[in-house]
Amino acid sequence: MTTDTARGPVIAGLGITETGKVYGRSAADFAADAVRRAADDAGLTLSDIDGLLTSSGVMPGVGLSLQTELGLRDLRLLSEMQAYGSTAGGMVQYAAMAVRAGMAEAVACVFADAPLKEKTSAGALYSGAGLGTSGWMGLTAAAGMISATPQYAVAARRHMDTYGTTSEQLAHIAVAQRAWAGMNPRAQFHDPITVEDHQASRLIAEPLHLLDCCLVSNGGVAVIVTTAERAAHLRKPPVHLLGWAQAHPGYPMNRDSDLGLVSGAAQAGPAALKMAGVTIEDVDVAELYDCYTFTVLLTLEDYGFCAKGEGGAFAASGALAPGGSLPVNTGGGQLSSYYLWGMTPLSEAVIQARGEAGERQVSRHDVVLVSGNGGCFAHHSTLVLSPHARA
Amino acid sequence: MTVPVIHRDTATEVFFDSTARGELLIRHCADCGAHAAPQSGACPVCQNPVTAWAAAAGTGTVVAWTAVHGRPGDGAPASEAVSALIELTEGPWLYAPLRNLGPGERPWTGMSVVVAFERPEGGEAIPVFRPTV
Ligand SMILES: [Zn+2]
Repeated sequence: MTTDTARGPVIAGLGITETGKVYGRSAADFAADAVRRAADDAGLTLSDIDGLLTSSGVMPGVGLSLQTELGLRDLRLLSEMQAYGSTAGGMVQYAAMAVRAGMAEAVACVFADAPLKEKTSAGALYSGAGLGTSGWMGLTAAAGMISATPQYAVAARRHMDTYGTTSEQLAHIAVAQRAWAGMNPRAQFHDPITVEDHQASRLIAEPLHLLDCCLVSNGGVAVIVTTAERAAHLRKPPVHLLGWAQAHPGYPMNRDSDLGLVSGAAQAGPAALKMAGVTIEDVDVAELYDCYTFTVLLTLEDYGFCAKGEGGAFAASGALAPGGSLPVNTGGGQLSSYYLWGMTPLSEAVIQARGEAGERQVSRHDVVLVSGNGGCFAHHSTLVLSPHARA
Repeated sequence: MTVPVIHRDTATEVFFDSTARGELLIRHCADCGAHAAPQSGACPVCQNPVTAWAAAAGTGTVVAWTAVHGRPGDGAPASEAVSALIELTEGPWLYAPLRNLGPGERPWTGMSVVVAFERPEGGEAIPVFRPTV
C-alpha cells in the first residue's frame, strides 16, 4: 500500500440498536449502545476509539458528555455536530478527513434519538418541533408552516406545477420502498402497499398523504471510520469512502429561489462522484434520504439518474423497486424501516456494500451512493461508498 | 380558522408595529435598491446588511400552496387550513394563510392575492392573504 491508499478512509464498524417503538431509554443511552455495537462489529475495543462525533435529533443529549458515558480516554477528536438530516454524512466526511490526515485513527460517528413516548401520536411529536410562538419563527408557524410537512408540501406542489409531477408518481416511491422493507427484519412496516393504498391514506398537507411521510423511531446508529491500513486487520470487510461532498443552497426568500425545483444534490452529487472517479452510470444502488417521497424524487433528478422534471415518470416506471434498474432505499428507508435521520440511508448503504443484506441484498454493489438532506432542502451531504479501494 | 397568538421579540418589533397599523413591511437594501423578505439580514443581491424597511404594496401572487388537514373530531369534519408561499410584487417571498376561499376551494400558482391582517386577542397582528377581486 502506498501511504495514500493506506490512509484511505473506510467504514469498519456499524452499530444499530433496537429501533422503533422502544420505550424507556434516553437518546444518550441509545447513542452509547450504538457506539459499543459499532466497535464490537469492527472488532475494536472502546480504548481503540480516539475520535468521537455526535449528533442529536429532536431530543437533546447526544453530545460531548457521551465521552464520559462511554469512559473514553484521551480522545484526539471530539465534537457535537448539527446540520439536520445531512449530519450523518457530514460526520463521516469530517472523520474521513481526520483519519486521512493522521489526526485520529478510529473515529466513532453516532446519531440517536428517542422522540417516541408511549401513548403519544408520532405526528404530535414532530409538529411544532423547533418552532416557537414568537418572532420570525412564530410568524412562519402562524402562516401554517407548523412542521416540516407543510414546507415540503409547498415544495412538492411547486415541482408538480412546474413539471407535471403527480401524487400517483410519488406513490410509486412509497410502494417500492415498502416492497424492500418486506425483506428487512429491522423494518417497522412489512406489509406491502399499493398505489391505491397510498391514494386512500389520509391527506396530511396537500399534496402529501400519510404514506408520503416518514415514520418516527427511537434508536441509535454509529459507524467507525478508520484507515484502510487499520481496517485490513479488523473483523469486517472495509467499506471504502471513495468520494464525498456537501451543498447548502441558502435559498433566498424571493423569486430567485429554486426551492422545490433543484436541491443541493445537484451540486454535491456530481462533486462526490468526481472525487470517487466514477460517474452516475456506475452507481449500483442508491440509499437516498427520504423524509418524504418527494425528497427521493428530487434527489434522483438532481443526482442525474433521470432528467430534470422526469423524476415522477422514472419512479412510476418501477425502476426503484426490487428487480428494477436502480435499487433505491433497499432497506425500506425512513418511509418504512426506521427513521434515524441520515443514519437510515448510511446504515443500509454499509450493509449493502458489505453484502450483508440477506434476502434484499442487491447483486451488484460496487458503487453505493448515499444522500443526506436537512431542513427543507437546505442542507445536503453525499457519500460514495464501495467494498473496493479506488482503483 | 384564526391565526394563533404570536408574540414579538426584539428582531420583530418594527415589523409587528407595522402590522398593527395595517402595513406590511419588507427589507430594502440601501446599497443596490433590492427588496428582501422581512426576516432577511442580508440583501439577496449584493449581500450587504439590510437595515432599512420599506412598505410593501401588499399585493402578490401564489408561488405554491398547501392545505394542512387536521384530524376529524367527534362528528366534526377535519379542519383544512390553506397556506401559500406568496411572491410579493416587490419580489420577496412570504408564507401566509390564505383566506376568503370557499369550502374545498383551492388556490393556484400565479393566483393574484392581496394582504389583510388578523389580530387574535393577546397576540400580534398577522398578515394573511385573500384572492384579489
Ligand atoms: Zn443590495
